[in-house]
Parts: sequence; C-alpha cells; structure tokens
Amino acid sequence: MSLISALANVHITGQFGDHEGKNENDLLKVSEIKNLLIVQIAQYKNSSVSFESIDIDGLKIKNEPLTVTSNQNTRIMWSGPKNWLLVSSKRDLKKNILDKFKDTDFAVTDLSHSRAIIEIEGKETIEVLKKGCPFNFNTLKKNNSINSTYNGIALIVDKIDEEPNKVRLFTLRSFGESLYHSITDASLEFGYRSL
Amino acid sequence: MLYINCPHCGMRSQNEFSYGGDASVKRPSLNKEVSDQEWDNFVYNRKSLRGKHLELWQHISGCRQWIKVERDTSTHEIFRTFKADEEVAK
Repeated sequence: MSLISALANVHITGQFGDHEGKNENDLLKVSEIKNLLIVQIAQYKNSSVSFESIDIDGLKIKNEPLTVTSNQNTRIMWSGPKNWLLVSSKRDLKKNILDKFKDTDFAVTDLSHSRAIIEIEGKETIEVLKKGCPFNFNTLKKNNSINSTYNGIALIVDKIDEEPNKVRLFTLRSFGESLYHSITDASLEFGYRSL
Repeated sequence: MLYINCPHCGMRSQNEFSYGGDASVKRPSLNKEVSDQEWDNFVYNRKSLRGKHLELWQHISGCRQWIKVERDTSTHEIFRTFKADEEVAK
C-alpha cells in the first residue's frame, strides 16, 4: 500500500533562497522521503531475552547510544535503552520482524503512516541543523542518530553520510509541515534545491 | 542554559529535558499505617533547599528515560547524574 505524502501541501520543487550565481551541485538539497517501512521495536522492562542474536535483513540490533546499524535498504536506529526505530525501503520486512520479535518480550509498532521524513544533503547541512537544534553536531558521526528538538519540535536526526553531509529527519507526521517550514527557512541563507 | 549529562545518551541541552521534582522523596511503604502528616509530606511538602539537591529529570525529547541529577540550586552546577534505578551514595 502506498502512503499519502505527509508534506504534499508544502513541498514544492525548485530552487529557493540565495541560489543565484551558485553551482547547482553545491546547493543544499532538500527532499521528502516517502514509502518507507518505519517500525518501533521496544523490549519490555521485565523481559530478559537476548536480542543480540536476532537478525533482521542481515542486521543485528545493538543497545548502544547513537548507534545505527545499516545496509543499503534498512537502518536500525537506537532511540533509547532497549528501544529502536527500524526504517527500511523493503516494506515486506514487517512480517519477518513480527516473527522474530516475539510479542511476549517486545512491543513492535508500525509507525510508517505517522512520521514525516525530510532528507537534507549538502555542505551546509549541519549549519542548517545548528540553527534550531541544541545538540553539539561536532560529535555526530556517520551512522549515528540522535533524538532531539528543532525549534521545539521533537525529531530524530539520522546521519547517513559525510562529505557531503546527508541527514534524514524524522518527526511526527502532524509536525511535518512545521518542521519543513523551519528547515527550509533556515536553508534560505545558503540557497537550496527542493527535489 | 544548562547541559545535563544523560547517563544513557551523553551530554545534552536542558531544552531536551523536563524537570520532575525532588528525587529524595520516598513513598511510604505499602501495607503500613500512614498518618495524614506522613502522606502530606510525601505528596505536598517540599523543602526549598539552597545548595546541593537531588532532582528527577526526564529526557523527554531524547531517550525518554527518567534520570537523577545532583545539582546546586544556587549556582546551577551539576555534579553527577544517575540512572533512575541507581542508588545514590551520599
């Protein structure tokens, strides 16, 4: 089933802000990511089963802060002690997840319809994030993720790549448009290309 | 702005946290006769200390965990942080 875009009413393609006279490839790229499977996995407090051996799409989950385990299709982000957010372009992975994480020990919740995802790519990506998020981004490396706020909006930042920096921002779907306005407003100074 | 070292996530801005009150308050034990005064002390009465204070905070925009923070209420200096279930040695 395809999803209805969370940012359909605000996301317009084109070039905006201070883009004139700049090389198109040097501009920030802002895009909406759609049709991903997003699943929250949380182990119950009274559960003591080991999760280290559980394999999802060739990935093992780790209970380490900031850590993202990933392959080309799937990323599993740590979002709290024994709490992870799995994001995948393989939408049929859900059955596999439900089979492997038994409901006696884990709460598995499909959040695919309840998040808005914005991807930003470019040299100035971190500068845009710094404008609204109190986190020290010097410590955020490739394949790290954090839960934080941007202009008061709760979000998850997943750093996918470095040089150029590429991040995905996840927020509650109902806050998606507000976050999009905040991010694009902060990007105007550098000029951005909306894809 | 305060920076709080979350025992789960590391150093984070106070903006990500929500204050949860005095962490030294103990609930009267179960199955014990509790006087009105004891219950009032547990629910309402708080000291307004100047100096070192053990507080509860929730990392509401982060890992969502409750933590204990030892903070000086006059200087705002934070000395130590603990997980919520950790016993604090004085």
